[in-house]
Amino acid sequence: MTEAVRQHAVDAARDSGSAQAATYSVEAQGLCKRYGSVTALEDLSFTAEPGEILGVLGPNGAGKTTAIRILTAILAPTEGTFTVAGVPHTRPAEIRRRVGVLPESAGHPNRQTAEEYLRYHARLYGHSRASARAVAQRLLDEVGLADRSRSLIATYSRGMRQRLGLARALVNDPEVVFLDEPTLGLDPAGQRQVLGLVRRTAGERGSTVLLSTHLLDEVEQVCSRVLILHRGRVVSAGTVAEVARQAAGPRRARLRVAPDLVSRGVDALAATTSIEDVRALDGQPGALVATFRAGPDEDTMSAGLRAVLDAGVPVLAFEVEGARLSDAFLAMTEGR
Amino acid sequence: MSSDARAERHGSAAWTVVGAQEVRDLWLGGSALLLALAFSLLLSIMSYLAATNTELNFLEQRESVSLLAQVSIGAGSLLALLAAADSFSGERERGTLESLLLTPASRLQLTVGKLLGALSLWVAAFAISIPYILFLGRGVGVAGDALAVGFLLGSLLAIFLASLGQIISIFAASNRVSLTLSLFLLLALFAPTQLPASAEQGWAGELLFRLNPVTAAERYVGRVIMQGEAGSQDAAWLVSPIVAAAVFAVVALFVGARFLRLRAGG
Repeated sequence: MTEAVRQHAVDAARDSGSAQAATYSVEAQGLCKRYGSVTALEDLSFTAEPGEILGVLGPNGAGKTTAIRILTAILAPTEGTFTVAGVPHTRPAEIRRRVGVLPESAGHPNRQTAEEYLRYHARLYGHSRASARAVAQRLLDEVGLADRSRSLIATYSRGMRQRLGLARALVNDPEVVFLDEPTLGLDPAGQRQVLGLVRRTAGERGSTVLLSTHLLDEVEQVCSRVLILHRGRVVSAGTVAEVARQAAGPRRARLRVAPDLVSRGVDALAATTSIEDVRALDGQPGALVATFRAGPDEDTMSAGLRAVLDAGVPVLAFEVEGARLSDAFLAMTEGR
Repeated sequence: MSSDARAERHGSAAWTVVGAQEVRDLWLGGSALLLALAFSLLLSIMSYLAATNTELNFLEQRESVSLLAQVSIGAGSLLALLAAADSFSGERERGTLESLLLTPASRLQLTVGKLLGALSLWVAAFAISIPYILFLGRGVGVAGDALAVGFLLGSLLAIFLASLGQIISIFAASNRVSLTLSLFLLLALFAPTQLPASAEQGWAGELLFRLNPVTAAERYVGRVIMQGEAGSQDAAWLVSPIVAAAVFAVVALFVGARFLRLRAGG
């Protein structure tokens, strides 16, 4: 983790909320986890504010699950400190009492009904029988499984199991919720349902959500900030837009003009000093790709657009490649 | 945190919740009913054979009762071992262990609850064997002794074997490994019971029989039921089962509290 990235990760929430007291739902400082000579996590530092949905991105093996297991106090870090819901890492039982977790590929007891399963976990959090029953019914209603509450979990689809897992994670009304790949293996409808629940968890309950995933679309949909992990290190942190900008993208922009004006547009762009190369895309009428000499900023983009417009070519569409989270993610995790 | 979530903090201790759930899972949805059925079938066959052999004077009535008590102790404690050997490796294999470890219940409480759940199979097995022992022991005034000694020794062996199975289950990555290793150790412990009486001759033989909690329990049951000796007369045979039950229970709880954790991948 570079010093700049680390500082950014730690200070981001602090700077953005300077007017409010610096109370974070999650604050990690220099977390490391090593298994012998293998480093699973290296110098992880970040903060998360109450009610925030923080995306933790990374390819397989990046250290996302290890980070979650450390922050939920079922795995001890080799180095570093953290607090979750204001509780220091030295009090793991108290942390577990205040967090909810949907582990990656969590299993479910197939021979229990959803209601029994939630009642059991509610009782492990100290609820009486009556209270546990009420909590189970409320949560099943919340995740849309009330009508199947008496069915064996064995009969549930994967999407229903994930929603049940989310309900289990909320059984103690947690201040911080950790979701490890909650939409893995779900169809688009299932993904939408789960992401809707994630939004409601942060929005209506006010819980902080750490969403670990390698599906970038869902991060762009629901997360306010992201951390990108690669080989156990944070390689980028900030808002989705900030992270996208941090990526050294391919320095290209796509334009669409009227098909009969393509050659005029190519000539106009080629004459612009900030543009290295421009070409029309085969098989896509009216599509142009311009490669900038350096990373496109507002001035170079404006100059390019102005040149095309001055040449009398209306611009129908304009998109800078590398401005999306997926481009940033690939740039930061491939070939490193 | 909402009112209903935080207001109620007077629920039962976690180990009782885990124990109760374990019993429910074993008996309502799990394999306990099937095992209990197999156990009662075994006792029925044994009782029939013992009763017919007694009729033909091949077996003394006391000998029949002793045989049945020993079978019920052995098979009953085997059921407890099987349930315990599945306790944590089963959760690990089903991917449900992480959810349990994430609750505020301490690992010691989880271990105690699971151990009690496994012991419920021994209690059920003993309850099943009561009518068989009463039937075979009718008229010779030995049924009471057989039940008392059977319950005592069976409970000690069940605690010992269930603790052993649970220790293995805590470390085993899969159920297959846990069950295989547990059964192998069980066979090793039971093997000397099949040796001829001459194997017990000499101080070394007797020491081995007294050190092995299974053989010591078998000898004690035999002496009390068949020879009608007072329980206190051969109390030295009780040392090994008592020590094994106490030591292995403590070790299982310690191991659970200290070493129960996720392995790579779960």
